[in-house]
Amino acid sequence: MIQVSVKPESFEMVFYDAAVIGEVVAEVAERLGVDEAITLDIDEQSPLGRSKILSYDPIDLWVDGGALENTQRPRNFGPARTRDTIGRLLLRVLDRRSGRFDDAPADDELDLSQFAAWDVHSVGRLERIGLGGQRKRRLYQFRNRHGFTDVADAAFDELWGSSELSWTEIERLSVGCRT
Amino acid sequence: MNFELQQHAAWTAERASMTDIKRPREPFAPWDRRSLPGLFDVDETAKRIGHYKWVEIKLFEALGGWVATVPELDVKLRLGTHCYHHAWHADLFDKRLPELREMQTERLTIPPNDHMVEFFESMTEPEAAHMTIEKLVGVYRVLIPHKIAAYTYHRNGTSEITDMPTIRILDFILQDEFSDWREGEMLIQSMIESPEELERAMSHQTKLEKIMLEAGGIAGPGSIGNPYVELVEEN
Amino acid sequence: MRKIFPAEELARDSRFIRQTNEQRMGDPRGARVAGGNTSENLAKLTPGLPNGPDRARALMHGIFVGEIQALEGAGRTCWDFELGDEVPLALKLDMARQCWDEARHCEISVSLAEHMGTELGEYAENGLLYEASCNPDPVLRLTGVNRALEGLAIDVFNTMKEFGNMAGDPVLEFCEDWMLADEVTHVKMGSDWLRRLTENDKDRLNKALEFQKVVDRLFSFNGFRGEDDDSPIQLTRRFRELAGFSDEEIDEIADMSRDARSEAIA
Repeated sequence: MIQVSVKPESFEMVFYDAAVIGEVVAEVAERLGVDEAITLDIDEQSPLGRSKILSYDPIDLWVDGGALENTQRPRNFGPARTRDTIGRLLLRVLDRRSGRFDDAPADDELDLSQFAAWDVHSVGRLERIGLGGQRKRRLYQFRNRHGFTDVADAAFDELWGSSELSWTEIERLSVGCRT
Repeated sequence: MNFELQQHAAWTAERASMTDIKRPREPFAPWDRRSLPGLFDVDETAKRIGHYKWVEIKLFEALGGWVATVPELDVKLRLGTHCYHHAWHADLFDKRLPELREMQTERLTIPPNDHMVEFFESMTEPEAAHMTIEKLVGVYRVLIPHKIAAYTYHRNGTSEITDMPTIRILDFILQDEFSDWREGEMLIQSMIESPEELERAMSHQTKLEKIMLEAGGIAGPGSIGNPYVELVEEN
Repeated sequence: MRKIFPAEELARDSRFIRQTNEQRMGDPRGARVAGGNTSENLAKLTPGLPNGPDRARALMHGIFVGEIQALEGAGRTCWDFELGDEVPLALKLDMARQCWDEARHCEISVSLAEHMGTELGEYAENGLLYEASCNPDPVLRLTGVNRALEGLAIDVFNTMKEFGNMAGDPVLEFCEDWMLADEVTHVKMGSDWLRRLTENDKDRLNKALEFQKVVDRLFSFNGFRGEDDDSPIQLTRRFRELAGFSDEEIDEIADMSRDARSEAIA
C-alpha cells in the first residue's frame, strides 16, 4: 500500500476523514502506477476547487477542500471529485517525469489555455482507466479557453482520445485553435 | 421569347381586358357548403360557454397546483405548459361571453350541476408524490376526452354562419386539447409498468367516469346531444 | 390537494439533493452563491477567471432549479387562491402564462446544462426561492416573487448573457437573451399587479414592498449582486426600468447590496 500523508489529520469545517481520503488517493496512485509516498495538504477553509503540485519529487500536493467535495452534499467528501483532482495532478507528475514534457513551462507559468488543454489530455486518459471523466464539463472548459468552434472541438477530441501526447503536441493543438 | 409563348401572353392579356365585372356570382361559392341552421340559440350558447369556462378555470388551477407535487421532471414541465393552454381557453371563453349578451361573465361561469363540482373535487384529491398516475388519468383519460367530445358536438352543431366566432374559438381550443391529450396519454402509458399500476389507473378512471356520468358531461346532460330515436307509439 | 404546499415537500426525483437554509447559511466556509462562494474575493463572473467556466456551470444549475421552483410557485398561485374573493381571473391567467414560460425556461436550462457539461442534480438544491412563493397574501407573494426574485433573475440572466458574449458562446448568449425577455415580462406583471391590487390600500402596498425588501435582502448577502465592477452579478438598471422599477427602487437595491458587502468585509 502506498503511503499517503494527509494534512490536516482531522477537520473542523468539513465532514472529511483523513483516512478515507488517504485510501482514495492511494487507490488512484496505484491505478496510475505511482508507487511512492504522497503528501496531500488540504485547505479545509476553502470551498473552491484549486489544486497544485508543491513538489514533484517527493510528491507533495496541495488542494482546496472544495476540490475533494461532493457538490450535491456540501461539506461532505466526494470520492469521484477526489479521483478527478488527484488523478490530474498525478498524471501531470508522470507526464513531467516522462521526458515528453521537458520543454513545458513551469506550472506557475502555464496560462489558462495551456492548463485547460493539458487537463483535457489527462482527464481523457483517466476516463479510459475508469477514474472519472465528465467529458462534457471538460469540453465546455476547453471551449471557453479555445473558442466555440469546430477547430477547437476537433482539437479537444484529439487531446481527449490520445494516449501519450508530448507537450509540443498539446501546445500545437492549443495554439492551433487560437490562431 | 419563342413564338408560342408570345401568342399565349397576347391571348391572356386580351382575356383580362374582357373580364366582365358586372357578371353576378353566388354569395356562397360552389364549394362553400356552410349552412345557416344551428342547434343553439344565443342564450343556450352563452350558457354552455359559461360552463366550458368554469371547467377550463378549474382545470388550469389544478394543473398549476399539481406541478409542485409531481417528482417526474417531464410530467412537471408538461403540466406547467398545459396549465397555460387551459388558462388561455378560459380567457377565450371569457371574451366570448359579452358578445353573447352576457356582460356579467361571472354570472354564467358556473358548473352545470353539483356532480361536476364533485367531479373536480375527486379529480384534484390526489396530492401525494406517488400518485402521478391518478393525477394524469383524471385529466387525460377522463376530463379531456369529455371536453373534446362536448366541444366537438358544439362545434359541429352550432350555426356555421351566425356562430362562427364560437367555432373559430373551439377550433383553436380543440387543437390544444388533442395535442395535450396525446401528450398526457403517452405520459400515462410510460408510467404504467405493472399490473398493479394498471389497476390503479383503471380504478381511478372508473371512479371519476361514474361521477362524470352523473354530471352528464362537462356541460351537463346533453353535452354531446342525444343520439337515440324517439319512437312514435304504434296504432 | 391542499392550499399552500410546504417547501420541504416539493416533489423531486432521486437525482436532486436538498440543502436546507440552515445548512447553507451554517457553512463556516461561507454560503455558496452565484456559482461561487461568499468567502472568496468578490469578482465579476467572467470566462477569464480561473474558475469562471465552473462557476458558470454551477450558476446554470442554480438557475435550473430556480426555474423549477419558479414554475412550482406560479402554479401554486393558480391553485392557492379563490377566484373573485382573493384574486381576479386576469391575475391567475398571468400566473398560468408564467407557468408556461418557466416550464420553457426549465427546458432551456436543461439544454444549457447539457451544453455546459452539467448533470441534473450535480449540485445541491436550496428551496429559498419557492419559500417566498408560499406567502398566504397574493399581493405579498407576487411582490416577493415577481419583483424581488424575478428581478434578481433579470440581473443573473444579463450577467450570464454577457458571460456568453465574452466567451464567444453563441448558444448561451442566445438562450439567456430570450429568457431575459420573459423575466422582464414577469417583473412587469409583478409591478402592474402590485399597483392594481393596492390602488386603494396603502397599508397593503407598504407591507408588500416591505416583504419585497426582505426577499431582496435575503438574496443580497455579501453584496454579490450590485453595481460595482467586481460584483459577481451585475445589477441591471435598464431592464429593471423596463419592468416598472423606479430609479429610487433600483438605487435602494444597489445600496442594500453595498451595505451587505461592507458588512461582509467588516
